[in-house]
Amino acid sequence: MEQEVIIRFDGVTKQYDGLVVLDWVSFEIERGKFYTLLGPSGCGKTTILRLIAGFTEPTEGTIYFHGQPVNHVPANKRQVNTVFQDYALFPHLNVFENVAFGLRVKKMKEAEIRDKVAEALQFVNLQGYETRNIQEMSGGQRQRVAIARAIVNEPEVLLLDEPLSALDLKLRTEMQYELRELQRRLGITFIFVTHDQEEALAMSDQIFVLNKGKIEQSGTPKDIYDEPVNRFVADFIGESNILAGRMVKDYLVEFAGKQFTCVDYGFQENEQVDIVIRPEDLEITAPDRGKLRVRVDSQLFRGVHYEICCYDENGNEWLVHSTKKAEVGEEIGLYFEAEAIHVMHVKDGDDEK
Amino acid sequence: MKNSVRNVYLFPYILWIALCVVAPIALIVYDSFFDIEGHWTLENYEKFFTPVYLKMTLSSFWYAFLITLFSLIIAYPTAYLLTKTKHKQLWLLMIILPTWVNLLLKVYAFLGIFGTFGLANAVLNAVGIGTKQILFTDFSFVFVSVYIFIPFMVLPIFNALEELNPSLVDAARDLGASAWTTFRRVVFPLTLDGVKAGCQAVFIPALSLFMITRLIAGNRVITLGTAIEEHFLVTQDWGMGATIAVFLIMIMAFVVVLTGNRR
Repeated sequence: MEQEVIIRFDGVTKQYDGLVVLDWVSFEIERGKFYTLLGPSGCGKTTILRLIAGFTEPTEGTIYFHGQPVNHVPANKRQVNTVFQDYALFPHLNVFENVAFGLRVKKMKEAEIRDKVAEALQFVNLQGYETRNIQEMSGGQRQRVAIARAIVNEPEVLLLDEPLSALDLKLRTEMQYELRELQRRLGITFIFVTHDQEEALAMSDQIFVLNKGKIEQSGTPKDIYDEPVNRFVADFIGESNILAGRMVKDYLVEFAGKQFTCVDYGFQENEQVDIVIRPEDLEITAPDRGKLRVRVDSQLFRGVHYEICCYDENGNEWLVHSTKKAEVGEEIGLYFEAEAIHVMHVKDGDDEK
Repeated sequence: MKNSVRNVYLFPYILWIALCVVAPIALIVYDSFFDIEGHWTLENYEKFFTPVYLKMTLSSFWYAFLITLFSLIIAYPTAYLLTKTKHKQLWLLMIILPTWVNLLLKVYAFLGIFGTFGLANAVLNAVGIGTKQILFTDFSFVFVSVYIFIPFMVLPIFNALEELNPSLVDAARDLGASAWTTFRRVVFPLTLDGVKAGCQAVFIPALSLFMITRLIAGNRVITLGTAIEEHFLVTQDWGMGATIAVFLIMIMAFVVVLTGNRR
């Protein structure tokens, strides 16, 4: 029961007017997990959501729900509900009627509707707002109405299309906690679409990183942050120092003109690679004690840390996050553990399927 | 200082309203209190409440209602399909285009089409039904009126449909509504303003039609519009004509209020 697959994409391709939006995508969605589709705009993440919801049909490939192909099943026949980016609340109906919409369509009894709507509104902390008009609600409240309207139908999967993008930072952070909490309490599968990597890392059980209609990497937030498979993922997930390098042999990599021991292996000898070091893994020391010698170019105070931009002798840029302050123009040493180096294959075209 | 400058700008508008709106209505009301010999009287108003005129009012209403109804029945699906087409602005222009042709010309064209030796009868003959009297019937009157009014119904409905947020339709479908339920519970209620505007734009002028009644319906259909024309041009009873006009204005105002309260 734990590992039950609800949705499966099998070689799904979607084209709009000959333009490939999704390119041969396959993945599985299991019951009760929080999934995030992460990627820049135009990467196909919303298209995946629309395919699952049933607003559009794949050009090629098959989508399965519980093992049954559902390519031609219309949206209203699917056990899936969506929270839209613009919430898409019905402006001519009040809060109660918005939430009750799905139940009324199912011709549920009035008393039952009343109970369920009350319960759903309580879930999102909106008791007492039943008779309000949508126009009277704030952005955060509309968001909650949209969520209540979706979950009241007890879907197996809840789709969320960048639902937090219209909220201000504080509210957004708050809603991240609430959504995660909501998912745990309901125990249903959430598929969340966002272009905000922090949001994705904070909320998900599983992240799919998408780029140009393909899944670049899927894994837990920790996997993706610590072990990005390529330059795109490393760059998209948080700030990083990405350099071209050469794998001399197992556990030995060369970059920035020097050789370093690392923990990566299984590459070909002398293979061209990309290496990543996260800015928070770099430690400022005296110039002669660091593994790298760099000159501080600029410094920004970010609140929790300083963001220091440095250049080494070869002109490589190094971004450092440090609680220690540095002086602009000063020469400093950078120290890092062998574990901090992450070696990735250079992505060469469409080798992998 | 500022106020007086603003008042100067207001002047053309006030002049326009006074000369072209208030004055004519005042004159009509004034005229309605005189009989055919020019004596002051309330008789015209009494006469309006006789069966002859009440029946005329009723028949005006009935035909205006029919014209509005058929226009709506044809225009709504048309507007809906238009919003789904690729070159919608072009198609919309095609529908609006006939309004650029003079009304009288269009009516005369129908005289030709519906006449005994016209296209319509030629077709009826060809399919074996035989020649029918089409002109000077209720059918031809409503048909031609609907044809003329359709663009005025399509335009506001088209605009309302265009303004409709497409994700609302997705949302309704997502919540389990069939295509029909989505239309009934989301699309139609949210485009009701356009429908109301369209109904106003059709119903009000349809109440006072006179040219089409004369040419196409051969004065078999007598509406308030025809009655006004008759009184002013034929019987020269300006008082009675003006009285009918006063009632027509009141009815129209009533219709506007009834279909009003647009957001």
